[in-house]
Amino acid sequence: MLKKTTIDKLPELAAALMEKGTLVAPIKEDAGFNFREITDTKQVDLIFHNTIISPKSAFFPQVEDFVQYQTGKSILEAAPVELNLKPTFLFGVRPCDVKSFQIMDIHFSGTGVVDPYWQKRREATIIFGFAFDMNEVADAAEFYHTLGIGAADPEGSDIFMVRKDDILMLKVITPKGEKLMTGLSFLIDASADEIKYFDDYIAKGHDYKTRYTCVDTEAIAREFEAIFDNADFWTKISDACLSCGVCTFVCPTCYCFDICDETLFSQGTRRRVWDACMFTDFTLEASGHNPRTKVYQRLRQKVCHKYSYHIRKYGVISCVGCGRCTRYCPVNIDIFSIVEEAVKAKWYKRL
Amino acid sequence: MTISFKQIEEKLKTEAKRLLESGQVSVVLAYGKGYDEKHPMPYVARNPSDVANIVFNEYCNYNMARYLVRYPAGTKIAVAVKAADSRAVIQLIQEEKVKREDLVLLGIPVYGMKNPKTQEIIDGKTTGGLYNPVLYDILLGDEVHGQAIQLPYDVLAAYESMDKEVRFAFWKKEFDKCIRCYACRKACPMCYCDPCFIDQNKPKWGDKSPKFHGNLMYHLTRFHHLAGRCIDCGECSRACPVDIPLYLFHKKVARECEEMFGQAAGMSIEDKPALVNFRVDDSDKILE
Repeated sequence: MLKKTTIDKLPELAAALMEKGTLVAPIKEDAGFNFREITDTKQVDLIFHNTIISPKSAFFPQVEDFVQYQTGKSILEAAPVELNLKPTFLFGVRPCDVKSFQIMDIHFSGTGVVDPYWQKRREATIIFGFAFDMNEVADAAEFYHTLGIGAADPEGSDIFMVRKDDILMLKVITPKGEKLMTGLSFLIDASADEIKYFDDYIAKGHDYKTRYTCVDTEAIAREFEAIFDNADFWTKISDACLSCGVCTFVCPTCYCFDICDETLFSQGTRRRVWDACMFTDFTLEASGHNPRTKVYQRLRQKVCHKYSYHIRKYGVISCVGCGRCTRYCPVNIDIFSIVEEAVKAKWYKRL
Repeated sequence: MTISFKQIEEKLKTEAKRLLESGQVSVVLAYGKGYDEKHPMPYVARNPSDVANIVFNEYCNYNMARYLVRYPAGTKIAVAVKAADSRAVIQLIQEEKVKREDLVLLGIPVYGMKNPKTQEIIDGKTTGGLYNPVLYDILLGDEVHGQAIQLPYDVLAAYESMDKEVRFAFWKKEFDKCIRCYACRKACPMCYCDPCFIDQNKPKWGDKSPKFHGNLMYHLTRFHHLAGRCIDCGECSRACPVDIPLYLFHKKVARECEEMFGQAAGMSIEDKPALVNFRVDDSDKILE
């Protein structure tokens, strides 16, 4: 079922979705685009390349409150914070970011230990995937194509969208998406030409080249294992690294968090907050010992976690090539180049 | 006159090679190739053969003084410095984090540097009205003279015209964006504390979550820790992934400090940092 609407009628679509639940969509902010809960239908803006912060925050927000308590009172009086979720529509997610949800599922539910917050948010959410604009040249930082993700890959979306000038085409992918779509009666059927355009566009997505090479995950994992103790390599790689948290915070597949108690006067909240392996205190132990005091150890952890340990443990690379870490790195450290250097000629080829 | 970035790059390479070959320094902090031309990186040359990777273009904004404290005391380092960067070196010498005799300063007189994200020319925002390094051993080009100068505090006009409420609302809006990645403090050459107050948890000085109270605590404390020490390189604001204009507050404090103590940070190796120095004729304005 392929439906369509026009870009100028986006507010109408937004209003219909907001009536059914919570709409989270890209909006333009000072520094660029970000996914936000929509309060005004006119905020939704699909003329964007990608957001600064990845849409993982829709399922794994930077701050998640668990328990509220009063200091000095009994623990029995503490109250868990209930998640009362309305149906949520995550609108305009790029294919590489949709893929990241599947990688994150491994950690938040796939290993058998289920994170109820992630799970509930996932279940409540319908994902509107959105193809990259293939008339644009790919951003120099991106390399999702290398990781087998097409620029118009509908996999993982419930409804997938392609924009053709001012026409927005929407196709149902899953039963969950179909149920929603049948309720959006103002969407009109696409013409036969448009159906062809849509199908061709998706097929073409795999030919759209970002930085690219063939990836042999086994070879990558092996190469990183071989150079683990090569301090000279890692020191050189991390010479520029500031050891800030930008790369991990914008990353769609970084999932580390810290649980902390924060009190204001006597009102306390136990909450989960994003943490980053690039921070000095991330591995600080209660004894005072810190196994990763050097910048190179921390950068090595970040890269090897994604491109080595994750392959060994779960068989997949924990990276979707969205390019955010490279794009927002204050000193332009490029994870693609690091992998390229580690695996040497086996990795990089710009087509 | 126009700046020849290529010429500066060549001179930077020549001097770096000479210093490394003669053993005068073991490390050269300069700029290197990134993943494309618009995105060069801070670069460390340790061998004469590394020098080929050095580049210099209008996007090499990095304040390489930020990396000085990373090397063990006594390491002989050559560091490429633009105007503001040289002030950072001076300030670090004043604060006894590095020694003058361990450093060779490769001064770069330059203007027209650009922010790669916005393509905007950053001179007025960051160089403190200077185009020539304040301190250097070797100058990698002719001193810049006659170029129109945007005074360091000119960009404060709009900010200073805000009244107290408007100003608070302005910072509330800006700090609400903060994601607490700490890129600002990590990019800052004067933020070398280990551990930073915000990372301590005994006692805990501020919340970890990126909510307004914690963000305010973090930024205001950092602003005040940099009072009289900020050398106006603007790296904090450029490092910020959500574009918080941190430089405004730093400049405002720098201006007040300069008016009160008659001294700008990192302008003379003979100075003592304004806020750790006591002079009988110091201004009492701060107490009023």
